[in-house]
Amino acid sequence: MIKKLSLLLLLIIVLLSLSLINYQSKGDLSFPKLNTNNFFSPIIHTKNIIKDFFNLKEENEKLKRQLIEIILQQKSYSALIEENKRLKELLGLKERTKNIITIANVISKGSNKFIKTIWIDKGSNHGIKKDYPVITHNGLIGKVISVNANNSEVILITDPNFSVAVRIDRTRVEGILSGKGNNCVLKYIPLEEEVLTGDRIVTSGLDEIFPEGLLVGAVKSIDKKKGLFQVIEVIPLQPENKIEEVAVIKKE
Amino acid sequence: MRLISKWFLLILSTYLIQNLLILIGINTNLSFLLIYFFIIEYYFPKDKQRNIAPSDIYPLMFFILIGFMDDLLQGIWGPAIISKSISGFLLINLTNQLFFNWTEQFKGTVIFIFTLLDEIIYSGIIIYFFNISIEPLILFKQIIIGALFNIPLGLVISWGRP
Repeated sequence: MIKKLSLLLLLIIVLLSLSLINYQSKGDLSFPKLNTNNFFSPIIHTKNIIKDFFNLKEENEKLKRQLIEIILQQKSYSALIEENKRLKELLGLKERTKNIITIANVISKGSNKFIKTIWIDKGSNHGIKKDYPVITHNGLIGKVISVNANNSEVILITDPNFSVAVRIDRTRVEGILSGKGNNCVLKYIPLEEEVLTGDRIVTSGLDEIFPEGLLVGAVKSIDKKKGLFQVIEVIPLQPENKIEEVAVIKKE
Repeated sequence: MRLISKWFLLILSTYLIQNLLILIGINTNLSFLLIYFFIIEYYFPKDKQRNIAPSDIYPLMFFILIGFMDDLLQGIWGPAIISKSISGFLLINLTNQLFFNWTEQFKGTVIFIFTLLDEIIYSGIIIYFFNISIEPLILFKQIIIGALFNIPLGLVISWGRP
């Protein structure tokens, strides 16, 4: 038998919680998120030490190989950079610099139930603010959604709640890229536009959050059969399970 | 005092395990097991004779506390308080009406259905109020895995009871 008093109490709790949720959804009220990373840091640290121990030799050889490749590439690039600069000056274009705020390490996966996030070990003490883009050497990986003093939470580009204004590098056609769970989807590309598998997708800067020209991903598949626009699947260039170090850059 | 320390440790270790599982990519709803265990302990005490009409206020307070802990970790206050209170309250009513011995199959079904209910209420509130997009397949998998994960653990903690 349901007791009247407990039913009344339940009703009051539900109503109070609903009004609290309503205020939070409108942005009138917000509460801090309890971050358990500090509590778990010894465990994460031990896990990282064990992982590093096994990967050290392999990583050392890989880095040496990469260093040689980079030195060789640098030699050939320096001439190209000079030529590029001269051409840009000729065209009157400004040289853009991506203002890196800080370099951070990924400390853990996010604890959010519905949003794909990661935690990084830098926060407001290091100059990070909400909505700042986060990149790796492979390109854009997401943006900061919450900031604490010494750590921040980053939403990944594969999350359906993430969107960024992009363009196809080859054809300069603009669209919106959103997350789709494991990959991303490129929206609003008209049917008549030519898109090829492997086309590189870069940020367009039109959303005034992400600077122009950041590499995001590559076209995986194209479907022209449905609706007014093409359905284009994009693979992020940075696999999300291999993100270790990131750079936080300034908003456009 | 002993009882409070016991529950404090239980709650702490549950959240510790839950967060550790998240670190390795498994999203669980172990906090619902705390509610299930509280109901078993409260309505079917081991060492005392069963109370004929125990008050429902203490369990409700406990559900609010657990819901609040969940909300604190997610950064949005309210959804888990509602989901945990409603699912716990319904479980209390089921418990009050069923006096016979619970078989393991029945307990498994109860844990599965009520964890599912908790997850559905929580997800519904988040999706409705915060317009969070989530792939239906991912949501389905998350809810089902959470509910399935709780079955064996729930059976272990309530072995031989009620």
